[in-house]
Amino acid sequence: MEADVAGNRATDAALTAMDDSSFYSVTLKNFAAPWTNRDQSIFVPLNDYTATVIGMVRDDVPFNTLLSANLVYVGTGPGVPAYSPTSNDNYQALEDQNANLKTQLVAATQTATSGLPDSAAAGVMTTRAAAQAFFIAGTNRAMFRFTMLNHLCRDMEQVHDVSRAPDRIRQDVSRSPGGDSRLFLNGCIGCHSGMDPLAQAFAYYTFDPTQGRIQYTPGVVQPKYFNNDTTFQYGYRTPDDHWSNYWRAGPNAALGWDTQLAGSGVGARSMGQELANSTAFARCQVEKVFRNVCLRSPVDGTDRTQIDSMVSSFRSGGYRLKQVFAESAAYCMGE
Amino acid sequence: MESRLKTLLQVSVLVVGASVLAACGGGAGTERLPPNSLPPPVTYSGPAAQTADILNFQNAFWTNVRNGGVARCAGCHGTTQAPLFAREDDVNLAWAAADQLINRTDPTSSQIVQKMASGHNCWLGSNQAAIQACTTTLQTWVENWIAGTASGGTKTIQLVAPPIKNVGQSRNFPADSAGFAATVYPLVTEYCAGCHSSTSATQQSPFFADDDLESAYAAVKTKIDLDDPANSRLVLRLRNEFHNCWDNCSANAQEMEDAIQAYAGQIAVTSVDPALVISKALSMYDGTVASGGSRYEAGQVALWEFKEGSGTTAFDTSGVQPAINLTLSGDIAWVGGWGINIRSGRAQGSTTASRKLHDLITATGQYSIEAWAAPANVNQEEARIVTYSAGSTLRNFTLGQTLYSYDFYNRSSTSDANGAPLLQTLDDDEDAQATLQHVVLTYDPVAGRRIYVNGVYTEDADPATGGTLGDWDDTFALVLGNEPSGDRQWQGVLRLAAIHNRALTPVQVQQNFDAGVGEKFFLLFNVSAHTGTPNSYVLFEVSQFDSYSYLFNRPTFISLDPAWTPASPIPLKGLRIGLNGVVEPISQAYRNLDTAVSVANGYTAGVGQVLSSLGTVMPLEKGPDQDEFFLTFEVLGSSTNVVTEPAPLTPPPPVDSPPVSDIGVKTFDEINATMATITGVSPNQPAVKATFALVRQQLPAIVDMSAVLASHQVGIAQLAIEYCNALVEDNTLRTNFWGGFNFAAPPASAFDTAPERDSIFIPLLTRAMGTNLLSQPNEAAVRFELDNLTTDLASCGGSCAADRTKTIVKAACAATIGSAVTLVQ
Repeated sequence: MEADVAGNRATDAALTAMDDSSFYSVTLKNFAAPWTNRDQSIFVPLNDYTATVIGMVRDDVPFNTLLSANLVYVGTGPGVPAYSPTSNDNYQALEDQNANLKTQLVAATQTATSGLPDSAAAGVMTTRAAAQAFFIAGTNRAMFRFTMLNHLCRDMEQVHDVSRAPDRIRQDVSRSPGGDSRLFLNGCIGCHSGMDPLAQAFAYYTFDPTQGRIQYTPGVVQPKYFNNDTTFQYGYRTPDDHWSNYWRAGPNAALGWDTQLAGSGVGARSMGQELANSTAFARCQVEKVFRNVCLRSPVDGTDRTQIDSMVSSFRSGGYRLKQVFAESAAYCMGE
Repeated sequence: MESRLKTLLQVSVLVVGASVLAACGGGAGTERLPPNSLPPPVTYSGPAAQTADILNFQNAFWTNVRNGGVARCAGCHGTTQAPLFAREDDVNLAWAAADQLINRTDPTSSQIVQKMASGHNCWLGSNQAAIQACTTTLQTWVENWIAGTASGGTKTIQLVAPPIKNVGQSRNFPADSAGFAATVYPLVTEYCAGCHSSTSATQQSPFFADDDLESAYAAVKTKIDLDDPANSRLVLRLRNEFHNCWDNCSANAQEMEDAIQAYAGQIAVTSVDPALVISKALSMYDGTVASGGSRYEAGQVALWEFKEGSGTTAFDTSGVQPAINLTLSGDIAWVGGWGINIRSGRAQGSTTASRKLHDLITATGQYSIEAWAAPANVNQEEARIVTYSAGSTLRNFTLGQTLYSYDFYNRSSTSDANGAPLLQTLDDDEDAQATLQHVVLTYDPVAGRRIYVNGVYTEDADPATGGTLGDWDDTFALVLGNEPSGDRQWQGVLRLAAIHNRALTPVQVQQNFDAGVGEKFFLLFNVSAHTGTPNSYVLFEVSQFDSYSYLFNRPTFISLDPAWTPASPIPLKGLRIGLNGVVEPISQAYRNLDTAVSVANGYTAGVGQVLSSLGTVMPLEKGPDQDEFFLTFEVLGSSTNVVTEPAPLTPPPPVDSPPVSDIGVKTFDEINATMATITGVSPNQPAVKATFALVRQQLPAIVDMSAVLASHQVGIAQLAIEYCNALVEDNTLRTNFWGGFNFAAPPASAFDTAPERDSIFIPLLTRAMGTNLLSQPNEAAVRFELDNLTTDLASCGGSCAADRTKTIVKAACAATIGSAVTLVQ
């Protein structure tokens, strides 16, 4: 590594540094942990969401499949119980052992571990941890919102656009909060008009807190989609899990949606592909890594040029997040 | 001829109404005559009613207009002035006269109702609010007469072709932003760019104050009303909502309005875009009235619809005398589309008039309270929406709100005088929401209390058993929005309130929920020019949703020719609703519509084809009497206007942020891993693991140097000491670390030479600091501090403990690995 640095091969040196198990057991674990819970707390035990992120980075799995792959990484080793779709015991054991996450995670399919049909597996969104955090109770909008927040680096307020058609906004959204429809017309509609048709992709998912596992009901829309359906009875009533991305037009077209994709589809997997193949997704991953490595956000034109460069190489180089870590480290080296 | 062309449309409510009628048929309780009239003052001794309809007329209408009736019509129309619909001698002849004055298919347009609407001898007074109330009451009598008993109110809607009006003119935004840049833009960039700019650190969309003019111009269009600058959101946010005024809200709003006025003044009034495929225009009042016909009102003894729109009295228009007319006091505003907005104060009836509730309800032993209410918030507790009480401790009944729950107090033989125990909807269900809801409370001695929200029984069990209402006090007052004592304020909008002296059945509750609230109109937008078919329309059910919007619902394509069906499919795509000559992008729920009008798609002669079951709210601009609507289509029949959205503007590059620190602190797991690596002690060593578990959340969680606190350092020190303790106490580990250093020697001899000290310091510094790094601490400075520490700790004279040397090494170790030497990254 020292020779690489001396030889002006900082990226190679960084890649060498990533061979250290602490990169997986500490850096990546804490990098992903806040994405897996609503409080965005870093102090959460290792879980299948975090482990899958770590494994994908380790194995150079294209990161744009993060929200669509039929993939989960499970723990192995002495004293580590088998993966359970109803508990976090497998990962808790790894946590308790301070296990080496570079060596003790192996890839598996969600079909094999959770019993989800192949078509229903949607990367980290359908992991047990994500389901427990974002599919529990509510209306499943949380899954969409936190996925946007964590992986497109945009909360709903930042994609607010009141000019989209509100024809897919569900019946539970009051059109006149407190008797004042201006709040809807100037506020609520801006997020719900785009969010609701996308979050429809999760219509068949929920988290069963009794069994402690994700539940998938193909062909049957979860009752939560009809919560408070008399609030505005003329609103949209979800018939299936068909989703549409209304944000492909209007100001949110700037998120850089993949023109090779249709912009609509059925189920969470294709919706995950829609999100993860956007420019915003790639840029978000790069910016997160930059902040993690450089301990700061990009501040000036030089930083932004570097970000652009890394986004470009990230997308063209097979979405390898390790490469982004290495390039970020090389860029910030010596600061 | 066209304007006279009519068709009958059985709208969906009829199905509900009919089914209710059937459901009610077998129940003796629901077929009881409505108590909608006072007993005749003089016993009628004329010929008996010859038909059922005449009997209905006698009970529902004639008794109110005859001699001694509340309407006092008999003074003229009883004996001397034709038509003699209030004559006393023969109710059959009175019916014959009255029958000529009513329209059985559209009671609203009845001659007698319209005569009252023109202000003809209203018994409540001569002001507009009183005339409105008299008209409504008279119409209610007519409807009750037509409907008969317990009908549930089936009503036939008669669609009438509206007048042909072309879309009017208005001001539209020019493509060039120069006018905006010269007038409004300077103001918003000066005062709003702190948030409403994409380059702001606290960015908040819309970015109408963006650094990039074109971006700002694109964003500001929905916030400016060129035809009415004062109605612009930019102005209203300052004037009415006091949103971040820069000094004085009123003056700031005026400044903004002046700027918009200056901008609007530069823009010529233009006609609607000629490229658009448009329908003919309509205002809401050009439509056919569609409201009120399907409510279940058979047991209704008091009704407030708040149609008055002005004044300080809300009239009871149930037609049941005496009317409990409510006096509004406090900060209560009338709401567009019927309703009152209670901010503070109350609407209170007299105890004398309120006594009818006591009399009529105790006679049946059951009742229902019905309200269309929109709570202003879900923070209010013990707030009264409808109450018949004397204060906060004495009542007959109360509908109230506590946070997300509705409250139901009922005084009976099994309760106390305050109506306790309380029946409250489960708070976890969050039945009460800050939105318009239909709430019905029912009570009867068998089923007890039940609460329905939006037509659905909440399934909250009554904690009290059923009882009788004999203890009710007839001196209480009916009050909306508060207690008579004024100490249980409810805030929100009430759009209708009614009291029934029957416990409504679930079906009847659902019927009244389905009937909706407020005035509704069927608007027929003429599209004949595009379909090539005379009398073809797109029908919308339109109502004023609240003071700020309209509800457009259920677009239906229909021809008023009752025999017409489409010979070939008529394509229809991209329907948008225009307002005052402009098609705004907001809330266009039908823009994705893509269908064809055809028999195969469901077109039925005389009924039409429903294009969408959705409803959408459209912003109100000038009010229902001025706003002019029209429809546009991307494709309709042979007409086409493809709408393409402009490509979004590329956001400008953000401005540079202030320089930030390039260094940070390690976080909790990183600290643990670092200490383990330096010392060689396993993080699974029991004491270390226990300490880390103890201090984990006390350690830094973020890298920001400025967020490091003393408490962080305490936790770091604890962990460092534990690692160093484990290292020094483990013979193998310490030998690997420090080689042959004599830990058994007393401090005086163990640290008395520089080589001895170096044998401790150098391994520590080598492992903790590394070598040949581009940036690292000054080794000499670190060593100097360690040396001082060792010297101080070794100065224990002759009383050193046996393990003092170990302690000193632990201290040097902890000082090294717990310091910035290792913590800063």
